[in-house]
Amino acid sequence: MQSKRQLQKESTRKKIIEAAYKVYAGQGFTAPTAAIAKEAGVSHGTIFVHFSSLEELQCYLIQDFGNTLGLEIHCLAETGSNTEELLKAHLNALAKHENFYIRLIAEKSLLPEDTQMAFANIQSIMAYHFSKVIEREGQNQAIKNIPLHLMFNTWMGLLHYYLLNKDFFSPDQPLLLRYGPELIGTFAELIKK
Amino acid sequence: MKICIACGMPMQEAAEFACGDTGKDYCVHCARPDGSMQSFEEKKAGMIQFIIKTQGFDKKAAAQMAESSMKKLPAWKEYFV
Repeated sequence: MQSKRQLQKESTRKKIIEAAYKVYAGQGFTAPTAAIAKEAGVSHGTIFVHFSSLEELQCYLIQDFGNTLGLEIHCLAETGSNTEELLKAHLNALAKHENFYIRLIAEKSLLPEDTQMAFANIQSIMAYHFSKVIEREGQNQAIKNIPLHLMFNTWMGLLHYYLLNKDFFSPDQPLLLRYGPELIGTFAELIKK
Repeated sequence: MKICIACGMPMQEAAEFACGDTGKDYCVHCARPDGSMQSFEEKKAGMIQFIIKTQGFDKKAAAQMAESSMKKLPAWKEYFV
């Protein structure tokens, strides 16, 4: 059983994490920690009681984001039997955190190395599910004979191009909601035999 | 839900566990044909190969990625002290 103090500590930590998600999604990863403290309603110093450095906070966030995303894709992918179902699961998981993800792919090179690696791990999780579905469909002779990595990179390239240009494609509404079905349908058509 | 101690994959269905045994802490991908868990070197080599096959990355970058994700997993803690 946790003490009242422990519960309070956890609740503050949670507030900081939620605020960081919101601030980074809106302002990018160069946003000052003071903005996170303000959003969370805590003093600036409180952030560093919970995270020893800015790097630690950012790395934690990306890992947490990756864990949530990985679990969502995993659960959805296991029920999906074809490429389109998997891609739908991928976009559904990303759609929940669209702005945060856009910041992540746009500003990846500004982040500490550990954080960049945590992000790379997120893509590997998707690559794993992608390879499983493609291999299964390949056995059924349903898709073209294209190297697996190029097929995955083509999907990621298409997806990231749209996300990175959200301001042109969909300035006023979530991009994946608007273009998701078209991107999935087109990609599936491209790889189909 | 259990998470594989050697690669971090969530395990729900029995088929995802090594030997289909839900009592195991590692997954089907981290088991050797005899059911025992792969060694650090075996797992690292497998991960590198998998990253190259599925994402086409450079071998050096793939090795860095494999090490970075292994660093966070309970099975390999002693290798990163």
